[in-house]
Amino acid sequence: MRFAREHAVIGAALLTSLALSALLGESVLSLYVLLLLTAIVTVGVSVLMGHAGQVSLGQGAFYACGAYAAGILSTNGVPTLIGLCAAPVAAAALAAAIGIPLLLLRGHHLAFATLAMHIIFLSLIGELREVTGGDIGLQGIPRLDLFVVELDSPRDYAFLSSIALFCVIVLLRNILGSRPGRALRALSSSEVAAASSGIPVGRYKLAVFTLSAGIAGLAGGIYTFYLGYLAPGSFPVMLSIQYVVMAAVGGMGTVSGGVVGSALVLLTVDALSRVATLSGMPSVAPIIASYAVYAVLLVSAVLFLPEGLVPFVGRLWSRRARARSPEHADAPAEGASVSR
Amino acid sequence: MLGVEGLSRRFGGIYAVREVRLQVEQGELRGVLGPNGAGKSTLFHLIAGQLSPDSGSVRLRGEAIDRLGPARRAEAGIAIVYQNDRIFRGMTLRENVMVGAHSRASHGFFAAALRTPRFRKEERELAATADAVLDEVGLGGQADQLADSLPLGQQRSLQLARALAAAPSVLLLDEPASGLRTGERQRFAATLQKLRSRGVAILWIEHDVRLVTSLADRITVLDLGSVLAEGTPSEIRAHPGVIAAYLGGPEEALD
Repeated sequence: MRFAREHAVIGAALLTSLALSALLGESVLSLYVLLLLTAIVTVGVSVLMGHAGQVSLGQGAFYACGAYAAGILSTNGVPTLIGLCAAPVAAAALAAAIGIPLLLLRGHHLAFATLAMHIIFLSLIGELREVTGGDIGLQGIPRLDLFVVELDSPRDYAFLSSIALFCVIVLLRNILGSRPGRALRALSSSEVAAASSGIPVGRYKLAVFTLSAGIAGLAGGIYTFYLGYLAPGSFPVMLSIQYVVMAAVGGMGTVSGGVVGSALVLLTVDALSRVATLSGMPSVAPIIASYAVYAVLLVSAVLFLPEGLVPFVGRLWSRRARARSPEHADAPAEGASVSR
Repeated sequence: MLGVEGLSRRFGGIYAVREVRLQVEQGELRGVLGPNGAGKSTLFHLIAGQLSPDSGSVRLRGEAIDRLGPARRAEAGIAIVYQNDRIFRGMTLRENVMVGAHSRASHGFFAAALRTPRFRKEERELAATADAVLDEVGLGGQADQLADSLPLGQQRSLQLARALAAAPSVLLLDEPASGLRTGERQRFAATLQKLRSRGVAILWIEHDVRLVTSLADRITVLDLGSVLAEGTPSEIRAHPGVIAAYLGGPEEALD
């Protein structure tokens, strides 16, 4: 029954997102596409952090990797659909390659190593001018051609991103509820006990690191065709930090938390940057405003909602439901479904 | 079934386990006794592969498994119940036990993501295994509860269920009975007997000397990392070294 309800929620979310894609005005549509792409990456980060206990401050690099893979291929005559498929593959391959040494580290060390990886990746893009266009950027990227239709308006990309987010959510929920997902959740609780239950801890950590990178790469690929232009400046380190803040605010380990967190943070940043760019504001106001949002949200999430917004609301909800119907006072805890 | 030969491990120059040699047969219930710091838990970690020895070898069915990590040893048939609770939090009892049966299925990320028929079949089998094992340890009605909510004694039972779900041929139990109430203790004793009759080789660390001497086939006594004595419960009771190590007369020591 719970499972059927989950399906209904995911289905309703897809329909809502498709409706928004159809109905939103041109002025907010680009923000909406950005929001969907961000949510895709954040959902992956949330699962990585919540279920495998890894903090990656390099997710923006995987996003960039996917974007550049798609961009470079399609500017060199490869069909755009193949370019899009190559985006998650390239990002996952990068993660698998660097993950082997990187995942020997944990905690803060892993976080800093992934952050360093992001910075190195950016300077590589800047240096490899012949391939990437360097700091000037990669131009003339064709629109995504799906044989039957060519996606050339922001609205098309809102539809595409909605479907991509839906697919990623279904994929992650399927995985988390199954043998590999249980293995991941188990090892985030006790690596020792997981290993002695027959779970190859290192391989699973690498697998989830690769998976979350692939998801980021997919979002990057869509971004490439949506924008039609890539430059290193589009992938600042702040991007990587932003995903982690969003995952923490929404609730780590929860798929819905990734979506809620990215929506909340992105919309707040957008609103504040509108205020900050009003005439009469000092020129540094927009930068300060956006950085401040991340800091304030992260600190308040850690202080007041350490589990994140979605699990917190979920518990409030089930507590209220229980208070109303005392005969169900010892029904199975709601946490079981929230943690998926 | 399980053989340990000349196994040693030092921490900072001090031997935690020193030249330990023991052999446990199929269907044998072997008690492991010894005062705190005798090296019992370290020995288990060496056998399960959580620690690597400085010297010596561990053999399973006659084959050296020294190069295998803990996950591969679990696959090969060694299961362990830890002394401190290491249940998987945020997961239901059934899910905890299904993790224990990890090696009995093989579907991976792709099959899970796509919900293939093989995935569905294996998940059904895993869930059925888990429910059967939970019944066996007396947690049958609580499969959908979160493991976090269990009292300590039942967390032990859950760990035991998780170990049993792997259908192990060697079972390492590190003080599984501590924290159990009388009724739970009796059920635990019955479970041990049943496992022994199924042919599982069991190594069992326990502080409750009376419980061990009444159930175990043979007993190994460790002291300062070395084997002090080995034999049947009655031989151990009469062993002068054991009596001396436990200080005082045999009645006080082993009663």
